[in-house]
Amino acid sequence: MNEIDPRIQAYLDGELRLEDLPAGLRDRAVEWDRLFGVMSRSAPAGAPAGFETRVLGAIRESASLEETSRGDRTAARPGWLEWAVRPRSVRVSPLAALGMAAALALLVLRPWSGTGPLPDQGVPAGSVYVQFVVEAEAAESVHLAGDFSEWQPSIALSDPDGDGVWSGRVPLEPGVHEYMFVIDGSEWISDPNAAVSRDDGFGRQNSLLAVSEISGT
Amino acid sequence: MLGAEARQQTDAELVRDSLAGSEAAFGEIVRRYQDLLYRHAERMSGGADEAEDIVQTSLIKAYRNLESCHNPNRVGAWLFRITANTCKDHLKGRRRNRLSLEDVPALETEVGDPVDALDRKGIQARIDLALHRLPLEHREAFVMKHIEGLSYQEMGAVLGVSVPALKMRVHRARDGLQELLEDLK
Repeated sequence: MNEIDPRIQAYLDGELRLEDLPAGLRDRAVEWDRLFGVMSRSAPAGAPAGFETRVLGAIRESASLEETSRGDRTAARPGWLEWAVRPRSVRVSPLAALGMAAALALLVLRPWSGTGPLPDQGVPAGSVYVQFVVEAEAAESVHLAGDFSEWQPSIALSDPDGDGVWSGRVPLEPGVHEYMFVIDGSEWISDPNAAVSRDDGFGRQNSLLAVSEISGT
Repeated sequence: MLGAEARQQTDAELVRDSLAGSEAAFGEIVRRYQDLLYRHAERMSGGADEAEDIVQTSLIKAYRNLESCHNPNRVGAWLFRITANTCKDHLKGRRRNRLSLEDVPALETEVGDPVDALDRKGIQARIDLALHRLPLEHREAFVMKHIEGLSYQEMGAVLGVSVPALKMRVHRARDGLQELLEDLK
């Protein structure tokens, strides 16, 4: 790719003045300014007439549809809610889904029982190792972010055989956790196989995972 | 009393009233931000109908999840982020580079020098086509920076991406645009 001179980039970012550029670069910088001028002048003025009315009408309509189907949903809700919070001796199943669809799954590899030495330093007693798996064929990197990492995409998943299925093991304390996968450092996606998700407040869905305490062993 | 009623409500007050069930309050929020959201959606999608669908979907989503807006004073940035995400989700469903010169939106004919208007129309069509050939995230950053005039800090607050990463995206977009515009000459 024919890259733009970094000094012109700095000028376009407002970090240099035109007179700070060597004379030979000024014409190119001015051309960019002209181009931005054309773009700004031709930008759409804004929403079309009556748009607000249509939006409010659509909101009313969707609220009415929701009202109609509320009976079904309230009947269905206790099932998944119960799934999300029910204590269990950790066997989040996704192996089945992995086998069936070669898509993603969430599986517990090795529950930590709390007896004997901790397998890794700094892992709280009672933690359970959960394996996260996601299929992302075209990705160059996949990270995991969640409430357990303060939403920093700091947990790298790996794909050692290059088949596009990325995975990683993470020790989690018992409770309900929210998480997302981050593809190539910028694209946040929900777990396509998560049974339960919750709106993150920004128009996307956080996936939910319930981890229960180990009952004995 | 009249003075109090004439005072423009703050965003936080409108969010509070909307949550209390006031449709008028949410309508005012829509009025306040619809142009900004629509411009972004149209520049990203390249079509007026698509832009309207995207913004409408985003605003319905926002209305249903208004309690998740943790900083009502910045409801505009929150709406922008929802719209930007909806745009990206929508555009991922399309095959990249499928636009041709005939698909780019036409400019309104302007009164004035017809040759000049034609030139501008041709230039604009090429710019639009080149923009739509950029990778989605590069296009998004470029549009926010150079068409919507946001600062890198404002873009970071909306997209949740660091300033250096955004600068990199804008730089790559300019590099790509330069090359594409050369190809389209």
